[in-house]
Amino acid sequence: MIRVAVSLAKREFTRFARQPQRVIGAIAQPLMFWAFLGAGMGTSFKPAGMEQMTYLEYFYPGVMVMMLLFASIFSCITIIEDRDAGFLQGVLVAPVSRLGIVLGKVMGSVLIALVQVLLFTIAAPFLGLSFSVGGFLLLLAGFVLTGTGFAALGFLIAWGMKSTSGFHAVMMVFLMPLWMLSGALFPVSGAAGWINVVMAINPVHHALNIIRAPFYGDAMSMLASPAYLLSLAVTVAWALICLVLSMKRVEKRENGA
Amino acid sequence: MIRIDQLRHVYPAGRKQPERTALFDLTLDVPEGQFTILSGPNGSGKSTLFRILCGLATPSRGTVTIGGFDLGLQGAEVRRIMGVVFQSPAVDKHLTVAENIRIHADLYGIGGPEFQARKDDALAWTDLKDRQADKVETLSGGLARQVELAKVMMTRPKVLLLDEPTTGLDPGSRRAFLDALHRLQKERGMTVLMTSHVFAEAENVDRVAIMREGRLLAYDSPAALRALIGTEMVVVRAKDPDYLGDELRAHLGLAIRRHGDELRLEETENGEGLPLLERILDRWRGDILSISIKQPDLEDVFVHVTGRAMPEQADHPGEPR
Repeated sequence: MIRVAVSLAKREFTRFARQPQRVIGAIAQPLMFWAFLGAGMGTSFKPAGMEQMTYLEYFYPGVMVMMLLFASIFSCITIIEDRDAGFLQGVLVAPVSRLGIVLGKVMGSVLIALVQVLLFTIAAPFLGLSFSVGGFLLLLAGFVLTGTGFAALGFLIAWGMKSTSGFHAVMMVFLMPLWMLSGALFPVSGAAGWINVVMAINPVHHALNIIRAPFYGDAMSMLASPAYLLSLAVTVAWALICLVLSMKRVEKRENGA
Repeated sequence: MIRIDQLRHVYPAGRKQPERTALFDLTLDVPEGQFTILSGPNGSGKSTLFRILCGLATPSRGTVTIGGFDLGLQGAEVRRIMGVVFQSPAVDKHLTVAENIRIHADLYGIGGPEFQARKDDALAWTDLKDRQADKVETLSGGLARQVELAKVMMTRPKVLLLDEPTTGLDPGSRRAFLDALHRLQKERGMTVLMTSHVFAEAENVDRVAIMREGRLLAYDSPAALRALIGTEMVVVRAKDPDYLGDELRAHLGLAIRRHGDELRLEETENGEGLPLLERILDRWRGDILSISIKQPDLEDVFVHVTGRAMPEQADHPGEPR
């Protein structure tokens, strides 16, 4: 199973590396988002208790989550044509475990996302942000978990789709709102009541928490914080549930009535 | 080797369409080491049968046994001995030939020194030896097909399924692909089941199965199928086919089949074709554009078999079960 997953993940990465426009697009888009919104919001961003923070800094972890989201969307969208009339046909008739098929896609997607988001992490010192070695490891774990959650969720959605345009629609009305209501764009404190509720049950909000935390605390105090541990647990559960559901989805064959 | 027993497949009703039966209790037995072509008009259930045989769909009823393994219960064992070539390419065109083959080997757990030997073996018959580092998207249609067959051959399948594998190939590439396939099949004693619309491909296979509307209409050797419609036939093209058809029917007392603008007198014994032709020409010369005697080929058999009215059966297509 591992061998199949590694082989399929390698394929994802090779494809990514061979399409320079995809590499550039995947990195440039969130970067522009960050720079333009950050510069535009500038001084008008003054939520209570965060007076010292610029919007560029506030938005920084949110852009990281956005990169992870976009990377998974780009990877999963190929499933749709691959499955009915492409590469995946051959994989499905091979004697391989169905979890291997899911993990291959997810691992490949996470690897691609990691390259992008780690490049983006280079910007941290310019914002005056720093982290310890332990903090960096926790940040890395946050990236991997969030990437896995998004990729497995994308897999689950894409597998049942007949057209890529359908996937775009789901992305716009479901995946993007998950990100928008995660606290990536604005803090929970100043938002309307119902948004508070949505954020609390939104796994992307918790993913954002575990990615934001390493920039503002050391590893030991994070691991001692119940809020951090709760977010970590929710993110792990999100990733696992989506992986299992994806595997079930692949196992399901079209049945005659 | 492939035993299909009482296979029925019903597509469940959707929001807009009622349920549809694609296979009606189909029974078919493909013996080991034989090359069988599965043919039928569009909508005959070929594709459904193919998807079931690959294990991509589960039938409503009935069983399929491949190499002694029950497809429904022992899917993993079946996958191990089976190779599948799909109509649409199942290779990643952004990757090179060698990379595609490598991934396929990984899927089947082939590695180490075994991999190199198998790869050489799988590429031996192809024209790909110098193109291994090239991306598949840069290859011609014929060569891209060779990649598909090569990667499947690497796993040394006992059973090979192919779904219209020559679609979109030029005649030369088509011929080359089929020659290679026949040679591999003979050398390795594979059981091959291939769907095809092109009857020229069926002349030198072991058996031809013809399906229509989810039922098996004929299943025999090409020679036996040709014998179904006499050994020669008279084909007439008329100025007014309706009129001449009625005339011939009334005066000759022979079965006449209309195929497009042609009138075909199919059940003609050897040697009777020429006197018949002369009789028709004597009497209706003015109504005839052309007249000829033809040895039936498999396409004629197909027209004959699938053009026939469906036999009365208890369950009609479209009728709820």
